[in-house]
Amino acid sequence: MASIPVECLPESFYLPFLSDLARARQPSPIRSLFPLEATPGLLSLLAGKPNPTTFPFTSFSFSAQAPPVEDGQKAAGEIALTLSGAELADALQYGPTGGMAPLVDWLHGLQETVHGRLRGEGWTLSVGSGSQDLLSKAITALLNPGDNVLVQSPVYAGVIPLFHSLNCTQIEVEADADGISTESLRAILEGWPVGKPKPRVLYTIPYGGNPTGATATLSRRREVLQLAREHNFLIMEDDPYFYLFYGSERTPSYFAMERADPSSAGQPVGRVLRFDSISKILSAGMRIGFASGPAPILRAIDGHTATANLQPASLTQAITHKLLDAWGHDGFLAHTRGVSNFYRVKRDVFEAAMQRHLAGLAEWSAPQSGLFFWFKLLIPGAEDSAQVVRTQAFERGVLALPGTVFLPNGRATPYVRAAFSLLTPEEVDEALKRLRDTILDARAASAQ
Amino acid sequence: MSSIATIDIAPFLSQKSKLWKNDGIRSLMALESTPGIISLLAGRPNSSTFPFESITLKLKPTLAGLPPATAGADPFTLTIEGEDLNEALQYGMTPGAPRLLDWLTNFQTHVHKRVQDGSWKVNVGSGSQELIYRTCDSLMNDDDFLLIETPVYPGTLGFLAALPCTLIEVNADAQGLNPTHLETILSTWDTTHPGKRYPKALYTIPSGSNPTGASIPEARKIEVLKLAKKYNFLVLEDDAYAFLYYGPEGQQARSYFALEVEVNAEKGRVVRFDSFSKVVSSGMRLGYITAAPGICNAVALITTNTSLHTPSVTQVMAYKLLAGWGPEGFLAHCAGVAAFYRSRRDMFERVAHKHLSGLAEWATPVAGMFLYIRLRVQANNPDADTAELMRTKAVAKGVLAVPGTAFMPLRGPTPFVRISFSIIEEAEAEEACRRLREVILETRAEAEAAMRTT
Repeated sequence: MASIPVECLPESFYLPFLSDLARARQPSPIRSLFPLEATPGLLSLLAGKPNPTTFPFTSFSFSAQAPPVEDGQKAAGEIALTLSGAELADALQYGPTGGMAPLVDWLHGLQETVHGRLRGEGWTLSVGSGSQDLLSKAITALLNPGDNVLVQSPVYAGVIPLFHSLNCTQIEVEADADGISTESLRAILEGWPVGKPKPRVLYTIPYGGNPTGATATLSRRREVLQLAREHNFLIMEDDPYFYLFYGSERTPSYFAMERADPSSAGQPVGRVLRFDSISKILSAGMRIGFASGPAPILRAIDGHTATANLQPASLTQAITHKLLDAWGHDGFLAHTRGVSNFYRVKRDVFEAAMQRHLAGLAEWSAPQSGLFFWFKLLIPGAEDSAQVVRTQAFERGVLALPGTVFLPNGRATPYVRAAFSLLTPEEVDEALKRLRDTILDARAASAQ
Repeated sequence: MSSIATIDIAPFLSQKSKLWKNDGIRSLMALESTPGIISLLAGRPNSSTFPFESITLKLKPTLAGLPPATAGADPFTLTIEGEDLNEALQYGMTPGAPRLLDWLTNFQTHVHKRVQDGSWKVNVGSGSQELIYRTCDSLMNDDDFLLIETPVYPGTLGFLAALPCTLIEVNADAQGLNPTHLETILSTWDTTHPGKRYPKALYTIPSGSNPTGASIPEARKIEVLKLAKKYNFLVLEDDAYAFLYYGPEGQQARSYFALEVEVNAEKGRVVRFDSFSKVVSSGMRLGYITAAPGICNAVALITTNTSLHTPSVTQVMAYKLLAGWGPEGFLAHCAGVAAFYRSRRDMFERVAHKHLSGLAEWATPVAGMFLYIRLRVQANNPDADTAELMRTKAVAKGVLAVPGTAFMPLRGPTPFVRISFSIIEEAEAEEACRRLREVILETRAEAEAAMRTT
C-alpha cells in the first residue's frame, strides 16, 4: 500500500481535551532517570529490580493450536513454544509502563495490516491489563468530574459506573439494528444550548454492540466522523467484538476510516481512540487489551498506569507475544475467522430456537457480531422487562439480563439481553422454552 | 478475658468510594449457581475458542535447597491443563481465584497467627501497588490528612499526588519510623491544625524500607500501634520486603497485623500489603491485601469497575507453585532468597567501606535490597543536598543512583542517595563506589577552591 501523506492534528489540539487530573500528573522521579541507564559505560545503582536468580522458574512452555491453514478449518497440529533465557527473564521482571517492546511492535504491525494506520503518523499504542483498564484510564484522562459525555445507548453495562464515578452527565445517543443513530447524535449536537460547552467525547461500540449485537453501517460511521469534526469531539471506539464479526460485509473501523475513507480526504487524522481486546479470541484470563490513538492521550494513560499499577503483567504479555509471533499476522487473522465462525454457528442455533419458541412473543434483529441477542418482550402493557426477567423467568429456571442495566440513565425498557456463547443446542432449546412459558404467563396476567 | 473490639471501617471510607457501584451484571452472577438454572447472563467467551492446550512451568530447586514438594514423577515440572487451564484462560472473580485466596488466607494465619474469625480477609491484586492505590483512593477525601513515613517509596507519592489528601511527613531513622516524632505530630495536632480532622491513616514500610533499608523493631511497632488506637488512625503496612529479612535468626519483628490484637485488643486497624514481586516474579504482578472486609470490599469495587480482576493465568500459576510448596516450603524458598540478598549486601558494604570511608555513612540493613547512603560532599556540612550532584557530576563520571529528594514527600533537600545492590556484580559495584569517591572528592576540592577565592 502506497503511503499517502497524512496530516495529523497537532499535539496542542489535545490539551483542551485532557482532564485536569491528566494534566497535573507528574512523572515518577525514578522512572524519569531510566533513560540515563542506556548511557554507554554507565554503572547503574538505580532501580530496585529483584535479581532474577531468585525467581524460582527455569522455563515456561506451552502448547497451542497451530494457526488454521484455511479459513474455517481447525489447525491440524499443535505448536510447542518455550520462554527461556532472556525471554523468560523479561517475562518475570518489571517491564515498561505501556507494554513490552516486542508485543507493542507486533500490535503496531497488526494495526497497520488491519486498519491501514502507519507508524509515525501521530498515533501510538499502549498495552493495558485488559481493555477495561485502558477504557477506565482513558475516561479519567479525558473527562473532568461533572462533564457531559455522549454515550451510545443501550451500552455495555461495565462502562456506566465509570461515568458515574466521575459524576458525569451521560447524554444517551440512541442505537438500533444499524448501530449508533446519527439522527439522534445530530439532534443532540444541533440542539445543544448555546454557551454550554459541548461534549468532548463520544463512547461507542461499533461492532456487535454489547448488548444489542448491532454493527454500525458504513454510512452511519461516515456521518459520525463528520459530526466529530463539525462539533469537535473525540471518538472512543471500544471494539472488543471486532474480530467476532460473522456478518456478510465487513465495515472498516473508525480508526481506519479517519485515515483512508474517501469522506476523510483532506481532513487531519487524530479523532479516534481505539480499544482492542484479546479476551474473546485468545484468553480473557490473560487480561490484555491495547489502545491505539493520539500520542498525547496515550501518554496520559501511561502516566496513570505508572502510578496506579506500574504496568500490565510482563508474563502474560510474553506468553501472548510468543504465540502471536509464532502465528504471524496472517495466522492470527485466520484464527479469528475460525473463532467468529464458531460464534456464527452458535448464533444460528440460538436464532432457530428463537423462531421456534418466541415468534410473536418477542422482537429481535439477528446480531452480526458478538455473543448476544437483544430482544424486546411483547407483553401488552409491560414497558419494563426487569420484573419478568428477574423474578418470573428466574423462577422458571432461566437467567438473563433485563435491558435496564444497559441504559446509562437506568430507564425502564422491555428489552432483554441473552448471551449465547456457552450453551449447547439442548440448553438453548430448554432456556427459550422456559422463557416462552414465562412470557405466556405474563401475557395472561396482563390480559386479566 | 478482655473483649476484643472490631474497628468500624465505615467512618474511614472516602466520599469517592461511595460513588462506585456494581454494574448490573456482576451483581447477578451469584444466581448462576442456582441448581437447574440455565444462564443466558454473562458474556463469557467459550473456552474452546482459546488456542492454548497446556502450560508447563519448569522450576529451579528452591534456593533453600529443598526439592519442590509436587506430586508426580518430575518434582520440577508443573503442568496447567484441563480445568486448571480453563480457569487460567477465562474471566475470573474480582477478589481473586478462590483456591489462591484460600491458600493465602491459611498462609496469613500460619505466619501472623491471626484466627480466621471474619474480622479480616485476603484479596489479590495485580501487584501490591495497585492495591495500595485503591486503598488510599477508598479512604482519602479532600480535607483528609495522611501520615507518611519519610523518606518513602516514591511510587506511593506518585499516586498520592493524584489524590486530594494532604501529606504529613513522619520521620524515619536507622530504626525505621520514629514513634516519638509521630506522637509529637499528633499531640500538637489541635494547635498545628485547628479544627481539622486527625489523620485518617499512616503509610509505612516496616521491613527493609524502600529507600532507607531500615526495619522497625517490635518495640517501636507497639508504640505506633498504641498511638494508632489513641488517635484513631489506620495503619497501612506496605510489607513488600518482609520475605527478604536476613537479620539475626528469630529476631524478625512481628508484623503490625500480627500485633494489633495483642497490643490494642482490637481488630481491623491494620491494612496489610504483601507482594510476590521480590520472591516469585515481579513480572507476574501479583500482590495481596489482608484487611477488614470493609476495606477489601471497597478496593474490590474499584477493581470490578476499572480492571475487572487480576489475570487468572498468573493466579493459577502462583497457586500451583504455592500449593506444591506448602507454607513451609514457600518460607524456605523466601529464606533462600533473603540469604542471597544478605550476601549481596555484604559484598556491597565491603567495597563501599573500601572506597567511601570518611566520605559517606550508612546504617547496615537487615532486610531488602537498598543502602541509603549519606554522602559527605562538604566536609563540614553533613546535610548538604546531593540531588544536583547525582544528576550531573555522578552521571558524567558514569554512575547512576537515586538522589534522596525523590523519596521526600514534600521534595525537601537531603544528603542521602539510594543504592540498589540487587543486580550489580562485585567488580562493577567496586567501580561504581570508586567513581562515587571521585565525585565526592572533586566536589569537596571545588568547594575548598571556591572558599579560598572568596
